Amino acid sequence: MRRTNQPEWENRVSNLSMKTDDKAELAAKINDLVDAEEGYLDRRIFWDESVYSLELERVFARCWIFVAHDSQLPEVGDFITSTIGEDAVIVSRGEDGKIHTFLNSCSHRGNRVCFAEVGKARRFTCNFHGWSFGLDGTLKNVARPQSYDGRSNLDKSKLGLHQARVESYKGMHFACFDPDAPSLEEYLGDYRWYLDIILDNDEGGIEFIDGNIKSRIKCNWKFPAENFVGDSYHAPWTHSSALIAMFGKTPNMRPERSYHINANGHGWEGGMDFIGNAATLKSPQIVEYLREQEAKFAERLGKVRSRMVGSLSSANVFPNLSYLAGHNTFRTWNPKGPRETELHTWVFMNANAPEELKEDYRRGVMLTFSPAGVFEMDDGENFENCTSVNAGVITRQQKLHVGMGLDSRIEHEELKGNVYQSQINEANQRAFYQRWADLMSAETWADVPVR
Amino acid sequence: MNQTEPNETREHRAVSIELINEIQQFLYREARLLDDEQLYEWLELLTEDIHYWMPGVQARYRKDDARFSSDRMAFFDDDLEYLKIRVARAKQPTAWAEDPPTRHFHMVSNIEVEPTDNPSEWTVHSLILNNRHRNEDDEMELKARRVDLIRRTEDGCLKLARRKVILLQTVLQAKNINTFL
Repeated sequence: MRRTNQPEWENRVSNLSMKTDDKAELAAKINDLVDAEEGYLDRRIFWDESVYSLELERVFARCWIFVAHDSQLPEVGDFITSTIGEDAVIVSRGEDGKIHTFLNSCSHRGNRVCFAEVGKARRFTCNFHGWSFGLDGTLKNVARPQSYDGRSNLDKSKLGLHQARVESYKGMHFACFDPDAPSLEEYLGDYRWYLDIILDNDEGGIEFIDGNIKSRIKCNWKFPAENFVGDSYHAPWTHSSALIAMFGKTPNMRPERSYHINANGHGWEGGMDFIGNAATLKSPQIVEYLREQEAKFAERLGKVRSRMVGSLSSANVFPNLSYLAGHNTFRTWNPKGPRETELHTWVFMNANAPEELKEDYRRGVMLTFSPAGVFEMDDGENFENCTSVNAGVITRQQKLHVGMGLDSRIEHEELKGNVYQSQINEANQRAFYQRWADLMSAETWADVPVR
Repeated sequence: MNQTEPNETREHRAVSIELINEIQQFLYREARLLDDEQLYEWLELLTEDIHYWMPGVQARYRKDDARFSSDRMAFFDDDLEYLKIRVARAKQPTAWAEDPPTRHFHMVSNIEVEPTDNPSEWTVHSLILNNRHRNEDDEMELKARRVDLIRRTEDGCLKLARRKVILLQTVLQAKNINTFL
């Protein structure tokens, strides 16, 4: 509907995606949609356009989103393109040696300024009129500058590509579009202690293996994210076919030796079995390497965390960075509407690990956790059908139950964060949705509690 | 034409129509075995030293490195052991995602047979289109260019010794790949 009284330009822009009243109204209802205490979810959070629209603003445009590992961009000019929510970004190593993240959209007419997903550049030049931007996103040159002679408001310093904040944790670069967001360190909170199990079990840290597999799943992004944050319950059932084909049996998860752990909505579920995930890579060399290093891991991480380096486990850094210790894969779930997700998969390894293990990790992840992998191919089916059934208007009025392990919280002498006994649990999923609801209902970061 | 040129010599070792026909039939039969999920029979068409490779393809500028490479991540980079694991998984009664079964066809075309320096091996180029239907209304299409090495073994049979499958999609427009191309 065309309005007759046009408010001022900037207000119109900010209200385009959703009228402020609707947003406030929906935000006020979020806590009715997520009952993280008792473990009930309203299915509309996986389906409604209005929820999705608010999610892009209040989750993706507000949180620290993983964009690259340091090893992917070793030299000045190296870049990759990615997305933060649905905002296309360029992540590049600038002439200052630092990682910059900025919108992949020209400040003149908005065209993309980079069409490759990875490469090396000196400038990002728009195909449309030839405006060119530096590796830090600043506007360097416009074509035919003399055409702007005379009265001109062309101020190059104000027409750079919109920047995100970039902060790093042990080689992992995250970007955030919200100037009011807490620092990455605060955002990760106690969960840093668990990231260290992967990122800092060796003084050399990790490196990413070259390349990146991308695929589309017709599901809401939260289904896979919650799967990695806590769902070991599905593993012996969903993945029975792969487990039996490879090992003749499904693994034994021991409730007394496994946990759900979360902090600020980030979470790890797993056992203290050291090797469970790593063993499914079909490489005796990888298992041997880990066993040889176990004492060294314990020196750096302490005995308890050293048992988590390759164990039967999964994890998610809120909102959409998942990983498997031992399997050595990181992945992001990038929203493409409420009912579609683009999965980006990487393989990593300890930078100091023997070079010949690289092939074993690269091929092992491919065989197990990639779109053609014997484990992962069954997951996509589940996530898609959990999403698509909600086309049914009666179906989406039925709540989902996420109530396993309601009384499983324990105090643990060593483990940081919120700790729950047994990896067969749904405590982390509840924490994930609690964090999501906190952000969705909060007007500013000041209203988002530390969890 | 100078027939002493090695390349010319190779060109002149003409590929007979009979051989082209035999290789085409081999590829069509292979496609039908995949359509019908006769995966153990499909494995029989492979040599012991099979290398089945479907690299991840990246959108890169012309001036930059190649859009795929053997040391980058791949969908498949398999030897016979890996392929057997994939088949064993697909054939488990607990492969929930395979039941109801996928309805699909593998369409092979643009078959071009080139001789190699080895008289019992040929490089075979082709296009593959896999049209997949699952459950009630799930539809996915995989399209790729293939380069095969087809070998005549000692018992006179044709077998697949190498396959390179180059997908056209850089972002796989599907939740998974539960077949072979």
